[in-house]
Amino acid sequence: MRDTTSSCAPNEAVETLSAAQLTAWQTARLREVASYAYREVPFYRQLWDKAGVDPGLLRSIEDFARFPTISKQDLVQAGDSWTNPHQGSVAFSTRGTSGAPLLVWLSREEEEAYIQPTMRGFRWAGFRPGMTALLMSPVWHRLAACEAHAIARLGGRCAFFWGSMGSEYTESFLHTLASERPEFITTTAPFLLSLIRRSTGASIRPHEFFTGVRSVVVVGLPLTPRMREFIRDRLQVDDVFERGGTQEGAATDECREHTAPHVHEDVCHLEVLDDAGVQVAPGFRGRLIVTKLSTAGSIFVRYDTGDVAAFAPGQCPCGCGFRRLKIYGRPETSVRVGDRLITAYDVRMCIEEDPALVGRNVLLIRDANPRAGLLTVAVEGDARDAGELQARLCEQLRVPTAHIVWLGDLRVNWGFRQVLDSRELRLPSS
Amino acid sequence: MPTENAYLLFDLPGGRLAFAEGDLDTWAEHLTWCYRMMGIADGATIAVQDFGSSPISFLGSSLLMPGLQRGVAERIDGRFICLDASAERVTLTPALLSQLSVDALVIREDVIELLSAELRKREFVALAKRPMKTIVVFGDEPPSFNPARPAPWHHLMHVESTLLLAPQCVKCDCFHFRQGFYEIDGRTIRNLRLTAPPCDLPRGELFPPSHCAAGIGDWCIGLSPRGRGN
Repeated sequence: MRDTTSSCAPNEAVETLSAAQLTAWQTARLREVASYAYREVPFYRQLWDKAGVDPGLLRSIEDFARFPTISKQDLVQAGDSWTNPHQGSVAFSTRGTSGAPLLVWLSREEEEAYIQPTMRGFRWAGFRPGMTALLMSPVWHRLAACEAHAIARLGGRCAFFWGSMGSEYTESFLHTLASERPEFITTTAPFLLSLIRRSTGASIRPHEFFTGVRSVVVVGLPLTPRMREFIRDRLQVDDVFERGGTQEGAATDECREHTAPHVHEDVCHLEVLDDAGVQVAPGFRGRLIVTKLSTAGSIFVRYDTGDVAAFAPGQCPCGCGFRRLKIYGRPETSVRVGDRLITAYDVRMCIEEDPALVGRNVLLIRDANPRAGLLTVAVEGDARDAGELQARLCEQLRVPTAHIVWLGDLRVNWGFRQVLDSRELRLPSS
Repeated sequence: MPTENAYLLFDLPGGRLAFAEGDLDTWAEHLTWCYRMMGIADGATIAVQDFGSSPISFLGSSLLMPGLQRGVAERIDGRFICLDASAERVTLTPALLSQLSVDALVIREDVIELLSAELRKREFVALAKRPMKTIVVFGDEPPSFNPARPAPWHHLMHVESTLLLAPQCVKCDCFHFRQGFYEIDGRTIRNLRLTAPPCDLPRGELFPPSHCAAGIGDWCIGLSPRGRGN
């Protein structure tokens, strides 16, 4: 029998816990995961013995914060010593945009744990029984593999288009939209933006394909408020939701308030640390650290994603007690200018204050000499008032100098990577 | 095409596949049979570089599709590596394959040149010499012959719109159209297990049942690679 609504007992108890109860619940899970990792995974045992930490003595979140963080490089080098005996039989690849790709394993038990938050996120985004959902490829990402299961359990139908998530497959996506008429879509933001750009000037406007679509859920790019409006208006859909997640176990979804994506605290424990490794307060940015609250699949305990993120302060008006986290950038979407780390999201926020520039592809150009204090930004399309924009970038991003390059007719694919090395791009003169 | 009971819809070039309750396991069993016909042993680690909309991908494990009780990985008690076939992901494959031992790499023909180029890079020379069986998946035209790329272990014919999956047999080297799954009428082949448009067979010599002991009731077809001069 396939997954059905009746086979899914909603496990929303964690969602209603108070902050103190949630902390206690997560601490118990962290102790369980750390104890298991110490016992079964040699990499962690060696690491924690060396660091002098003992999972058996883990009694609080503060205790857990003394465990060392790990990086992708650590895991690639660890090889077989990172293997979990119960890691499962299916593996996915990380994108490798920030170094070597990593194989991440998924087991049935772990997937079961992640289907629940996927269903929660889809309910928040307005999915209802009987709807048809056009979904991302299930082999794209371990979280994408959970999507079809979640839709089936919510009583819906799943549709898939031929191809992959590159811009060369937008025609195929549109064909499926036209033939299946889904009410719900999950996709990547770069794919959707490529589709909108490609349709500009076409005789059939993109919204004609999206007739009947209620919700679009996007991953892969942090949405600015104006970007969300742009997508919603161009496609004429009811709402656009940001979904977040990493192969390493982070999982977030937006509710209808759109204040910031909620962390699915029943499957992952997320931290935001400063450069000294100290937790930062909500509202302040730092590096995202992920711990998966499962002993199945590949084990990630205090994994440093390198992502730039911040918890949102206060409570969400929706009433959900799960913290909210915005991921602003990744190593492949950020540049260092002097001592400041500038994300493509920050730059888009500045640029999009000019309504004519919303929806244009923006790339940060990594300078050979970051200490020079120069921020170089390439913006698709015809020139606007560069002086005003440069002044705004300098003021809001607190960089000494900003330089805008207008790409004119040069089209650069929307992608997850939003930083180019200055040698990679033959820039038109500004 | 009737789709009232379908809960999974795949929109493909030239057709559309709709799966209802129980359909997926029929096809996962068939794909497993294909792998066995190509000499893949139980317990194997299979990496598939294909799109998620391809049954070769989504039948790989029950973790990938709702309603699939046992995918290929569960049926052979093996492991399944999901490798998307977009150009961006193909370039990552050598680095991933160097992290574990893979018994079979199943790859779409249209991206094998790209992968071969990546494998020729100096850092992957040792990887290219590993004893990995490469299975190249092609469509309704015979596979192309290219002396510059390593010879594949075997080929798998996959006509997407018909859901035609025909393995190259280790015994007779021909492609088997499995009895009970496909019907041959002249040079037209029909799917007997799923509503799907028929397709015309590629050029090649057709053999009626009794041709090969590995599948005594199967029709077979012998194909020469394109570009070999025959």
